[in-house]
Amino acid sequence: METGEEFGPWLARQLKLAGKTQAELADELNLTRAAVSAWITGRSTPRPTVMMDIAKALGTDVGTVHTRTTDTQAGLPVTWYHRPGYHDGGRDLGNAAAFAFDADVQVLARETCQNSLDERLTENGRPVRVRYTLHELTGEALDAFREAILWNDLFPHYSAVSEAAGNQKVGRVVDAGVRDMYEKGRLVLLRVDDYNASGLIGDDYADGKFAAVVRRQLESLKSGPGAGGSYGLGKATLWATSALGLVLINSTLSVPHEGRTERRVIGRLELPWREVDGEPYAGPAWFGRPDPDSPGAMVARSWWADEETVARLHLNRESDEPGTSFLIVGAHDVASLEGKSDADDESVGDEEGDEDTRDIRKMHGRLVEALGRDFWAAMTGGGSRLPLLEVSVRALQNGKEVVPEKQVDPSAEQPSRTRALRAHYEGTTVDRLTESGQVAARSVPLKLPLSGGAHGTLGTHQAVLLVTEAEGDRDADGGKNQVHSLRGNRMTVKRAGVQRLPIGTNPFQAVLLVGEAAGETAPFAKEAEEFLRAAEPPEHDRWGQTEELTLRWSPSAYRRINALTAEVNNAVRELVARPKRSSREGGEAVRKALTVRTRPKAKAPAGPVVPVLDKLDATVGDDGEWRITAEVSIPRGDEIVPMVPVAQLDVRSGGRPKLDWAELVAVEGCEVEDGTLRFPPGTRRAKFQGATDVTSHPVRTTLTRLVVELRAGKGE
Amino acid sequence: MKIYPYKRLNRPITLRVTSVSLKLSDGTRDQLETTAYSTQQQAVALGIAGHTDWVSATIGLSATLPPGANAPDAAWSDLCVLAVLTDGETNVRTSAELTRDAPDGRDWSGSVELLRDDHMGRASLAVYAVGTVDGVRGRSIAETDRSWLVDTASDEPVRGLQLDVQTASFKRSSREWLQAYADAPWIVDVSARVPTVFVNTDVEGVMGLLDSNGSGVESKVRDLLIAQMATDVWTAVFHGAIGDLEVEPGAGPVFPTDWQGEVLREMLPDVVPGVHVEEALRQVHRRRTGDSGWVELQTRIHYAAVRRADATKALAYVIRSLEQMNRESET
Repeated sequence: METGEEFGPWLARQLKLAGKTQAELADELNLTRAAVSAWITGRSTPRPTVMMDIAKALGTDVGTVHTRTTDTQAGLPVTWYHRPGYHDGGRDLGNAAAFAFDADVQVLARETCQNSLDERLTENGRPVRVRYTLHELTGEALDAFREAILWNDLFPHYSAVSEAAGNQKVGRVVDAGVRDMYEKGRLVLLRVDDYNASGLIGDDYADGKFAAVVRRQLESLKSGPGAGGSYGLGKATLWATSALGLVLINSTLSVPHEGRTERRVIGRLELPWREVDGEPYAGPAWFGRPDPDSPGAMVARSWWADEETVARLHLNRESDEPGTSFLIVGAHDVASLEGKSDADDESVGDEEGDEDTRDIRKMHGRLVEALGRDFWAAMTGGGSRLPLLEVSVRALQNGKEVVPEKQVDPSAEQPSRTRALRAHYEGTTVDRLTESGQVAARSVPLKLPLSGGAHGTLGTHQAVLLVTEAEGDRDADGGKNQVHSLRGNRMTVKRAGVQRLPIGTNPFQAVLLVGEAAGETAPFAKEAEEFLRAAEPPEHDRWGQTEELTLRWSPSAYRRINALTAEVNNAVRELVARPKRSSREGGEAVRKALTVRTRPKAKAPAGPVVPVLDKLDATVGDDGEWRITAEVSIPRGDEIVPMVPVAQLDVRSGGRPKLDWAELVAVEGCEVEDGTLRFPPGTRRAKFQGATDVTSHPVRTTLTRLVVELRAGKGE
Repeated sequence: MKIYPYKRLNRPITLRVTSVSLKLSDGTRDQLETTAYSTQQQAVALGIAGHTDWVSATIGLSATLPPGANAPDAAWSDLCVLAVLTDGETNVRTSAELTRDAPDGRDWSGSVELLRDDHMGRASLAVYAVGTVDGVRGRSIAETDRSWLVDTASDEPVRGLQLDVQTASFKRSSREWLQAYADAPWIVDVSARVPTVFVNTDVEGVMGLLDSNGSGVESKVRDLLIAQMATDVWTAVFHGAIGDLEVEPGAGPVFPTDWQGEVLREMLPDVVPGVHVEEALRQVHRRRTGDSGWVELQTRIHYAAVRRADATKALAYVIRSLEQMNRESET
């Protein structure tokens, strides 16, 4: 049997939800107020018979009172609360934080996965598991879902936004999202679940993770100094990815709140300022149970939902492991259109779905790609280390799987880099590369500045540089000869190519581990981590000058990072490129001039054009002769050189024995005259057939290789 | 176009060199760094470590067969994969059998041993998949389409053949034959293993000019000098290559397999444009050994050499910088 929360707090909340006082309940039960008070403070529990009366008084069944896994439905129903317009008449026409991002599932993957990594429960040493589910709803499933989120209550708000859509961006996006749902009769849900993470703990309003995500903007409450995020912007990508601006949340907490952990549910809607039925609304809205403590019992707070409700909201979690599920309603992926190359110009208009920003299969592919690219390191374990992260992606249509769940495998997405990191964990790196497949390790210094603008160096952190041969099978991530840089959260921050490599350098991939990624024992790992975190912009795609870096260290502190980059590039070059030899005799320029290398051919002089053999089919005939059918292509020209077809046998060395023709027949576009093919002027294609003379064969035909050539002139 | 009288795989085998080590005369081994080979250029340079006393080299290989090699309904049986090292100059052919990495896999690996005494300069390394087809053993089912080059002397893994450049005082050189050319600034020797250009250091300042890295007129003059030198060299190597052809009775000239072949393949399209290189070789050979046409061909040979030497570009740059210098001195 499920263990519910303590009776006391549960009863207190039920009374609050029902708007009853302790005295009123005591009257209904014909008991003293002190008895009720004793239950609530936990000094005693009611007898089973009294339980029945309590159930009746709260309008619920005895089971609920016994198990106490959900709230009674006696109180105010779950509903939408829209923040009223500001009294000063101010209008927010959108959430500024959301503007920092485009609707791009790859950015969403980066931000959400990073958050999950940051919130990983570290005590048990297990990885945090993240699952992305794309779910397309149509028909009845769509209707049922709309009912569950009280769409009819929301619709006037969307209409109001659509009406004003002409003037501002958010409105247009929302308008397009609503129209897509009605016109195509579908809705794409993108769900991000994490397991073995802390979940949205803390009070509904006071400081805590719950409030940071659900109630506040630009607040980052990270669990440790090694965390990836620092701006509190990441959560905005959730709303930015939703064309409807709507995200529902179900969290299983790692630390009980109100004595409970499972199915803490709330929804949040981001819309611009709007007026509905003459009432102005500021923008955001929350989906939850009205809080009786709030003024007028209007504000919606999270509620402890029952299993049926979360199922209807598509929020059911697969186990009671702590973590959070975010459901992005109306997910779209505008950035997927950018990747389209000019090459498929022809296919434009062939297929209506081509330009679709809501294609779940395409989104699936882009998610896998982005996760492999940014989080391969976190997904890699080795030696005694477990990976920090496991990610899988799947796509459903009305509950039926269309793309089966696929765990993102770093050694498939990033084989070379994964091999490098694994070798580092397992301690199998080498100093110099002597065999392909090896991983060379070097330490590279990062000189950390003193904070507060003081001159001088705090200490030298030794970063770890890993270099290995590129495995060449995937070039989607910007190609070979790249350095990926990571810090403690094992997310790829910087991708940069190495310049000035000599021609013919074997393709490689390099990984730079800095800060806590370099290992706990590395000197000044913590300081380096802090320094680089401050040097990371909200996009998490480079290290360089940032305001925080200037404020905490000095305006020139970013140069330390440039120096690190230079050191890294030198170390890479030293490992993969031959040392520049002292100039050979005669100097570089002479050597270059005296190298045999292919040059563009000189233009053929005008005159008769020369036909070339284009296609050849050959079989061995019954008498052991070679029978051929050959096609000839002829360049455009007035005069065509007559050609002699020559049959030879291929040999390994020496001259090729020539075979005689027993028969040579023109099929089309040419005529045969005395063993020579003649082409009428203007012919572009010709075809002829032939059979060799068996008596001219030096060996058995089945042991020969036939070579057919066209020669100009006499064919000698 | 080539046709085989039995079923084969259409696509080529891909070959990668995975390691190179040298066995020295004292019995020790030197494992070379991966910079000794280039997977892009498909070349191995055994001279990279600067050893003069190595005896043999072991080249580690990995080959991937095209899809279909292991198909259950394939026309062949007894599949085996061989690495073959051939040297066109010494006519040495060494083969080594590779072993399959995993049962039913398409990756095979192994190593081939190269004895230094068997080779002059450049050997080529190819892989063949061989099996029994229609009851005939040892038939090649697929090969690599582009061989790797193993250069026993070079210290740089590049494909392009580099002609050797040497400097010497022609008057005082230990190579006595150079003394006859004491008044020439440079001389080309085509009889060496690789054509060699000797630059005469008795001409004062010539080395300084050739080695200069500066900009301005000096470097333009250097480029012009190099263009002149290169024209001479290319003309000489072409004649050297064409004059020494092996002729198969009744079948015409055979394409050389060493540097001469490389030079001819590169230059013939400019000498006899618009035809296949084999055909061009036959034409040139006919003109050289026949009664007429050799003299007329000289212009084309000269043209091919000038193009290779980039003479036009060098000349244009010199003229431009001279004009510029004149303008500056006028103002």
